[in-house]
Amino acid sequence: MKTYTIQVLKRPWYEWVLWAVWFLVELFVLQNAIASGAELEPRAASIFWMTFVVLLLGGGIVWFVRRARLAK
Amino acid sequence: MNDTGKAKRPLSRREFFKMAGIGTGAAVAASSLQPAKVANAAAAPYVDPAGRPARPWWVKTVDQPTTEIDWAKMKRYSERYIEEEDSGTVRGDGFAGYLGAEEAERLIKQGNDKMKQRLVDNVDGYTLKDHAMSAGQSATSVARSFLGPQKAKTPEERGVAKWSGTPAEGARILRTALRHMGASTIGFVELDENTRKLIYSIDPDGKILEFTDDPIASETETHRYIPNSCKYVIVYTVQMSEEAMKRSPTMTASQTTTGAYSRGAQIAAGTQEFLRTLGYQGLSEASTNALGIAPAFGVLAGLGEMSRLNRMITPEFGPMVRVFKMLTDLPVEPDKPINAGIMDFCRSCKKCAEACPSGALSFESEPYWETKGGWNNAGHKAWFEDATKCRTYWVSEAGTNCGICFGVCPFSKKDKAWIHEWVKAGTSAAPFLASFFRSMDDAFGYGVQKSGEDWWNLDQPEYGVDSMSVVKG
Repeated sequence: MKTYTIQVLKRPWYEWVLWAVWFLVELFVLQNAIASGAELEPRAASIFWMTFVVLLLGGGIVWFVRRARLAK
Repeated sequence: MNDTGKAKRPLSRREFFKMAGIGTGAAVAASSLQPAKVANAAAAPYVDPAGRPARPWWVKTVDQPTTEIDWAKMKRYSERYIEEEDSGTVRGDGFAGYLGAEEAERLIKQGNDKMKQRLVDNVDGYTLKDHAMSAGQSATSVARSFLGPQKAKTPEERGVAKWSGTPAEGARILRTALRHMGASTIGFVELDENTRKLIYSIDPDGKILEFTDDPIASETETHRYIPNSCKYVIVYTVQMSEEAMKRSPTMTASQTTTGAYSRGAQIAAGTQEFLRTLGYQGLSEASTNALGIAPAFGVLAGLGEMSRLNRMITPEFGPMVRVFKMLTDLPVEPDKPINAGIMDFCRSCKKCAEACPSGALSFESEPYWETKGGWNNAGHKAWFEDATKCRTYWVSEAGTNCGICFGVCPFSKKDKAWIHEWVKAGTSAAPFLASFFRSMDDAFGYGVQKSGEDWWNLDQPEYGVDSMSVVKG
């Protein structure tokens, strides 16, 4: 009889907390990016947009790296 | 076999609720990021019996203002260059008194010539349409008057008793009325033996302001008589357009100052008639900035704090307001001063002083008792400005009034981006971050002078101000 071992790998709870923080920071930066444009403050808007994109890319990379490690 | 379930498949019910839970939690948390500010787009009942708006936690009510005052050293004051003669204030004819008539004339001519040349050269912010805007704003002003229009029927003429209510109710209906007439924020001060010193001894037009036991206010060729019963000061602000002021010093910027003064005068006349109809008196500024020291009353009424500009800065609109005051015998509940960390921030910021082209503003870290000239009133600690330098720049270089210090101030912000409220809260709660906030303000490009020509391409709200941007808790 063949036996299988099923290993369930879950992200630990503190990682979810960190992702929630990341999400809130992204939301905050995005709001400021959009609102700075509406406030006619182009430099502030550019800085916020750059920050948003960098955080988004950074978050995406970390997500996939972690996902790959969990899948090993 | 740890890749089981990795193939694409629809979400299970459990996963769906898990995702929904996470999403809801994130949304709730995100909503808490939003600053404590609600646009009062829909009218809501007052929470406070006196109609005071709820302010964010970082605007603290205090017993003593953040400006140190020595009431014993203060006396009723006239900012006229020579009190006895018809020489005016440093902003008016008194300027010649301080500099000498010949020098003043030379500087004014220099400024006029520059203005004319800018008009001919179509210089940004000084074009014919900018002049037209300024002329238009000037034309909207109504006549100011100490006693008011006195056209409204009194309760006696209407055959009814005069309005009566508690001081809180008095404050509340005045707040409602003034706000509806265009005031941005409203506060009240009760005159006592100290605060009475903030009423000028002589008005800018030379008339003596005298308190009297006569219950009815009156005015003669030489005097304005204030009944002792008129011991309540209504202090209100009128917003200027931040978008226009960031074009300082141009006609584009100066027109919003003119416009705010015009609206202030309209509100004054309206309030005087409102009070008359209720059966009370409203004694207003007979000319621009007359009657008393506006920033001082503003600070005591909790509308803002003094600053390096030697002007009041509000938590809501920064320095982008004009301040007006009126005396009344309608009992109102007075307000307390506030501490929102504004004066503390000014200690290290100095952005206005650095930007001031005339060098009129102080670079001292701490405010001081010593005044700079007859345009300052002694008895309180302030960053007293050199008004002759400021005025000299106005008349000889700008050719119009200058608001660079207002435009660059880090408190001059719109209310759309959440970051501003966070910074204001940080300024109040963590004063040691002031230098960092100042550096960030520069790095983010706030306060950079904008184009006067671009201003004509903006789709702006009425009066160029956001009347819904009152900060609420």
